[in-house]
Amino acid sequence: MGFWQTTKRTLFRWKLIPPHRWRRPAIMLVAAIVGLGIYVLKLSNAASYLSDDPQACVNCHLMTPQYITWTHSSHREVAHCNDCHVPHDNVFNKYFFKAKDGLYHASIFTLRKEPEVIRALAPSQAVIQSNCIRCHQDQVTDARMTATIANHKEMRTDRTCWECHRDVPHGKIKSLSSVGYQIEPIKEYAPKDMEVIPAWLKSSMQKQNTQNESND
Amino acid sequence: MKNWILFLITAVVVFLLAMLAYSIMDRKNEAKYAYQPKVEIGNIEPRDSIWGLNYPRQYQSYMKTKDTSFHSMYNTSGHVAVLEEDPELVILWAGYAFSKEYNQPKGHAHAVEDIRQILRTGGPMEPGEGPMPSTCWTCKSPDVPRLMKEIGVTEFYSKKWSDLGAEVINPIGCADCHNPETMNLTITRPALVEAFEAMGKDVNAASHQQMRSLVCAQCHVEYYFDKDAPDKKGAQYLTFPWKDGMDVESVESYYDKLDFADWVHPISKTRMLKAQHPDYELFSLGVHAKRGVSCADCHMPYKTEGGQKFTDHHIGSPLSNVENSCFVCHREKKEDLITDVYDRQRTIKKGSQNLMRLIAKAHIEAGKAWELGASEEQMKPIQEGIRHAQWRWDYAVASHGAAFHAPLPTSSIVTSGTSIIEESRLQLARLLADLGHNKPVEMPDFNDTEALQAYIGLDMEKERADKAQFLQEVVPKWLEEGKKREAGYSIEMISNE
Repeated sequence: MGFWQTTKRTLFRWKLIPPHRWRRPAIMLVAAIVGLGIYVLKLSNAASYLSDDPQACVNCHLMTPQYITWTHSSHREVAHCNDCHVPHDNVFNKYFFKAKDGLYHASIFTLRKEPEVIRALAPSQAVIQSNCIRCHQDQVTDARMTATIANHKEMRTDRTCWECHRDVPHGKIKSLSSVGYQIEPIKEYAPKDMEVIPAWLKSSMQKQNTQNESND
Repeated sequence: MKNWILFLITAVVVFLLAMLAYSIMDRKNEAKYAYQPKVEIGNIEPRDSIWGLNYPRQYQSYMKTKDTSFHSMYNTSGHVAVLEEDPELVILWAGYAFSKEYNQPKGHAHAVEDIRQILRTGGPMEPGEGPMPSTCWTCKSPDVPRLMKEIGVTEFYSKKWSDLGAEVINPIGCADCHNPETMNLTITRPALVEAFEAMGKDVNAASHQQMRSLVCAQCHVEYYFDKDAPDKKGAQYLTFPWKDGMDVESVESYYDKLDFADWVHPISKTRMLKAQHPDYELFSLGVHAKRGVSCADCHMPYKTEGGQKFTDHHIGSPLSNVENSCFVCHREKKEDLITDVYDRQRTIKKGSQNLMRLIAKAHIEAGKAWELGASEEQMKPIQEGIRHAQWRWDYAVASHGAAFHAPLPTSSIVTSGTSIIEESRLQLARLLADLGHNKPVEMPDFNDTEALQAYIGLDMEKERADKAQFLQEVVPKWLEEGKKREAGYSIEMISNE
């Protein structure tokens, strides 16, 4: 109750409560905002953005080339979008960056200002680079040398990895029209009960097995 | 005044929110068409050209399996008559259709035309005629799972090869390995699922990497036609003999326990076994399999085109594509890698050629012993030796890639076959001497295929004439009927972009 009391008090103090005659339409308008807001959240599949599921990133078809190139890469087995594209130093930073990036993406997409070739901006590049190092640290730095050589770590990690590894993982050619047709679900994200035997074959084999048993 | 402003701002916010909601809907609709495939691929669509509308890169590279220009030192993607290269084979397979014609394998795209043209399938002028059962179609076409679904698996195995000529017209293709809804790899041949069950394994538990080999293992394996499977009377039920293991000895004892024979050799009267391309079994014993490499890793390496990485579906010898297949792991000179392969193949071929000739001689010597009045009792151990030696020789050579896939196990198979056959020939020499023939048995000319075919009593001219008539009169009818059936299939176009 305390919350409502203070809110009401604030609204009255700043004369934000409409006069009696106006209250009804005002209430309706505010309700419309809330209702539409909820509807927009549902429509945009907003809850999915809290997860680490790569499918969330292809809610917008703009990311399809990135998604498809990733599903055809060796990173697909070990890293999701978020493993590389959001910071992992602490959970607040992770969601702050995710929200910032996500709102930027959403705005550009809504304004139809998306370029034919999307590129990571500077803040994003820093995040990606630190994530490369997060997993590949032992491949780029040597623990013994870090202990003995002053700037060994900087020397080994201050160049961006993709200066050389240009194909990783999205390929060299990136554009909205660089990939083929649809999104192919891959086994890694298939339901647990997915089977490699087609239904027709399964049922025909079951029929034969029951026949065998009844004749035994 | 302030209230008015507030009211207006609120109204504008509602308006903007509604616009945003509309925009999201709009872009969602766009997504439905942005990366839209062209056609809806039906349940088991046997025509690759339809799949090709959605997957042009995979389809076009797969169509390159038509290409017959590649030759390596010992193998080829084109036409090579193996009976001409090694005429002794005619003696080894006397009484069996392989003595009529046997060629090096071509690409997948030739599967259906090759099985029609090969003399082994004869010239059936009417449905129900001819030497071969319908089971021979099993590995030739995506029409097979379609038929199995329509008429039932056992029913499919219970006909004659000539019964299904009009039904099976598309060579091996997309639907054999892919689930049309998800494009995931799938198993469409019951024999592999049943073989896994027999071994007490679950094929559904296979990882993606294993599936990249198992789809090949649906066909590139040793098999036999089980004629007395329970409840499958009259069917020639395709079965893989893996119950006790996949190595040459386990399969040999499996067949011995069943007292199974593919045919009885007319000269030595031996109950023979025919090994058919145990590629997956031998590959599994090799070092590449041990390191977790799959068939597709070398035979279908990744390729990049227009920025998209995809699996190259031009399935063939990795020797024609060393840079994309071997170089992924081996950073050596191309020539050195190829030399390594040829060294293994040369060494094993030397041994297997020698073994082949010894087996041919043994058959003829056994024939001589029968002629001189040997008893069944005396011949029994000799026949067993011939059966086992030829089984082992065949197991090693019928898998064309074995010398590379698993050089050590393959050479040990050849060695064991050689010692078995030499032991049998020793026994034969003693037996022949007892029967009063203490000198070398007269051999036919092992370098003349035609003469050997006449020697085992084949009328090749008739075989060829029957085949020519069949190709001229029957096959066009099959094709016409098949095309007519396919014209009736409905195709669901999604977009015409």
